[in-house]
Amino acid sequence: MNKPIKRSWAEPYKIKMVELIKMTSPSERRKALNDAGFNTFLLKSEDVYIDLLTDSGTSAMSDRQWAGMMLGDEAYAGSRNFYHLEEVVKDVYGYKYLIPTHQGRGAENILSKILIKKGDIIPGNMYFTTTRLHQELAGGKFEDVIIDEAHDSESEFPFKGNIDLEKLDKLVKKYGAEKIPYVSMATSVNMAGGQPISMQNLKELRKYTKKHGIRVIHDMTRVAENAYFIQQREKGFADKTIKEIVKEICSYTDGATMSAKKDALVNIGGFLAVNDWDVFEEARNMVVVYEGLHTYGGLAGRDMEAMAIGIGESVGDDHIKARVGQVIYLGEKMMEYGVPIIKPIGGHGIFVDAKKFLPHIPQNFYPAQTLAAEVYLDSGVRTMERGIVSAGRNAKGENYCPKLELVRFTIPRRVYTQAHMDVIAESTARVFERREKIKGLKMIYEPKYLRFFQARFERIK
Amino acid sequence: MRTIIEPFKIKSVEPIFFTSKEERIKILEEAFYNPFLIHSNKVLIDLLTDSGTSAMSSDQWAGIMRGDESYAGSPSFFRFEAAVKNITGMPLVIPTHQGRASEKILFSILGGKGKYFISNTLFDTTRANIEFSGAEGIDCLCKEGKMPTIPAPFKGNMDLELLEKTILEKGAENIPLVIITVTNNSGGGQPVSMANIKAVRKICTANKIPLFIDACRFAENSYFIKLREEGYQNTSVENIAKELFSYADGCTMSAKKDAFANIGGFLAMNDPALAQQCRNLLVITEGFPTYGGLAGRDLEAIAIGLAEVLDENYLQYRIRSIEYLTNKLIEAGVPVMQPAGGHAVYLDAKGFLDHIPVNQYPGQALVGALYLKGGIRGVEIGSLMFGKYDEQGKLIPAQMELVRLAIPRRVYTQSHIDYVAEVIIEVFQNRKQFKGLSIVEEALLLRHFTVKMKPIN
Repeated sequence: MNKPIKRSWAEPYKIKMVELIKMTSPSERRKALNDAGFNTFLLKSEDVYIDLLTDSGTSAMSDRQWAGMMLGDEAYAGSRNFYHLEEVVKDVYGYKYLIPTHQGRGAENILSKILIKKGDIIPGNMYFTTTRLHQELAGGKFEDVIIDEAHDSESEFPFKGNIDLEKLDKLVKKYGAEKIPYVSMATSVNMAGGQPISMQNLKELRKYTKKHGIRVIHDMTRVAENAYFIQQREKGFADKTIKEIVKEICSYTDGATMSAKKDALVNIGGFLAVNDWDVFEEARNMVVVYEGLHTYGGLAGRDMEAMAIGIGESVGDDHIKARVGQVIYLGEKMMEYGVPIIKPIGGHGIFVDAKKFLPHIPQNFYPAQTLAAEVYLDSGVRTMERGIVSAGRNAKGENYCPKLELVRFTIPRRVYTQAHMDVIAESTARVFERREKIKGLKMIYEPKYLRFFQARFERIK
Repeated sequence: MRTIIEPFKIKSVEPIFFTSKEERIKILEEAFYNPFLIHSNKVLIDLLTDSGTSAMSSDQWAGIMRGDESYAGSPSFFRFEAAVKNITGMPLVIPTHQGRASEKILFSILGGKGKYFISNTLFDTTRANIEFSGAEGIDCLCKEGKMPTIPAPFKGNMDLELLEKTILEKGAENIPLVIITVTNNSGGGQPVSMANIKAVRKICTANKIPLFIDACRFAENSYFIKLREEGYQNTSVENIAKELFSYADGCTMSAKKDAFANIGGFLAMNDPALAQQCRNLLVITEGFPTYGGLAGRDLEAIAIGLAEVLDENYLQYRIRSIEYLTNKLIEAGVPVMQPAGGHAVYLDAKGFLDHIPVNQYPGQALVGALYLKGGIRGVEIGSLMFGKYDEQGKLIPAQMELVRLAIPRRVYTQSHIDYVAEVIIEVFQNRKQFKGLSIVEEALLLRHFTVKMKPIN
């Protein structure tokens, strides 16, 4: 019998330099996990075999980016690398004014301090940990206006990152547009599982906010991945390039915060970009206090150069296809083993539904944190909790109880091969097989801010 | 004495940019006579700062390639931590993206209204961070430190009597920290003696006030102690540095100076409760505690740089190059700060351009003249940077009108330095032709970075 010949795609690059990784034994992993208080953030990376903690700052740079590293101009003022970066941001994203920062949260800090007044409301398509914290520290309150489908792990809606304009309208009616300094709009919504927002939704959002004089600020760390889903799923975009789609997305917003450690393929760096001169001027004065002079923003010149080159590479059609293709490959493999994951598969990682995976563990015994620990024990694969621990507490000190209790398997860009993906899927499947024997955790140390980073746990008896 | 040579050879070079005098006239005009607004590819010799501008060694570049970029628990962090612990003896080490971030975190926790921070001299960003928290900064610099042309070995010393008096006056309970800046940057890169640090420690202990070191240039300061302080001639600079840190409870560091890094900094301390508070703030604005807003590779470069900077052949070359330029200028009669400091030459602009009154910013005029004559970029440290206005809008000038020519580490050769001396001397000989400046446009805060100026005819 003649099977049709499969036509595989492969990575649009070859490997120029490798980094050695360490294999560990089960007893070494048990010890390492105990030492880390069952928190994968506290594991030493040396004890990790495949590191899926984050796709942030973990990309493999290209030979051109490394060449750019050697072209770093470390002058304190007026570095050539800054002007290169400024030009690329204008060309690729279309924003007029650029303030570099040492990473994304540096930009969020400055932007929140400039735009938010005490008592303001910031609607957004699902919270993100550091973003919401900066909004709260500036005196604002975050309100979730993402569509309901985003909170439903069963829904296969193609644009689960969309904003529900009715929810937004309710907020505007309740508080008044003057209490809403901007809508915080993320592309590839991280906490929803890397889910995209559609161009149609963006256009409607632009129309609505224009009418009410509200800014749209774009959390653009994974904008290219979002653009890929628009190209694949939205009518009328199949023949457009990723670069064209990215620029159109940005054109419906007034400014952006960027952690270049994701899409832009660098290990450090970020920026704030705005179209409004007054905001820019204030940001330029503020960046000196927190980050560094406005032509370096707390970055080495070489890192600005790597970012400028990385941004160009990030909007290549072949690059994005391979990137998201690898994530989808892993997700489909897991589904074959029956592992419950968030669908449709997102752009930067697989989000395993811990509530379904460990239905016998109630949320206050941290099922996602438990699952992350178990996957590490099985194979040395490091993942991250994105559930009740990450959600933290509100101003009254009560736990936020998110509907989604997830473990994030984030795939670094250009780092791991298909064989690594197979190991990850198989290990998760093995844990799934023995799921009923797994017990939950209790928290024994809880830090005040962003507790998921440093919290410690132990197994319940 | 034999010539002191660079204790290294050059592995990689970077082009510098020649311009004609006509081009420079135009560039300066377009930059509104503000060196911060000149693009770096229009500068021949860039002496704007020694911060982040060092040439890294081949070992450091190897470290850059070795950097582990894991978000949490990177081995690069553990190597960095070990290097900092080794020199400071402090068990708790927190990386930050640069020095001002360390200060921001520390003073957000310890500062606030009604608090006072006492120092030999607080650097401008340090002072800004203290005042931003609502607290007040007080400088207790020794008397000789305020006299630019009178040489003394340790012009960075704290005035101990004034320190005790200030503590008594403000109340020890209102003083969260005493900070010693080594070397004293705002005061001309002048060192602090070990005896002075010990005495400050004693006063702090008696009053139960913790002592912190602003350690950006700790190695340069330690080398001056070896050269100038009795009893240290036979002690290694490494051991001098360790002793210096042993008297402190903590330190802030910009690794962009004495760690030869292009980016990075840290906080180190003995108190676990304070460290926990610092880490809680760190994750908000900087990053996770094992990377603090730095790439893993930068942690490696700092760890290696901290070891290299303690090499005495390097320090001899470093201190001698500054002294070499200073002496050349003194011989030609150019008014400069004496003795030579550790990282920069400071020209006395008031004496240099004595026909330009302070309200026409002689320092900035001199900066412009050096660029025009030779493509050299320096920075004004005078009334443009520190001046304030009174209620009538009249300028309250700074104490001194200086131009700082900071020498990047391991970047320029002796020929570059000879050229710099020649340009300065030429400007000095033709000084009467340079005019003062007036402000066209300025920002409320830190105006020197963005100010626009024009010459007064």
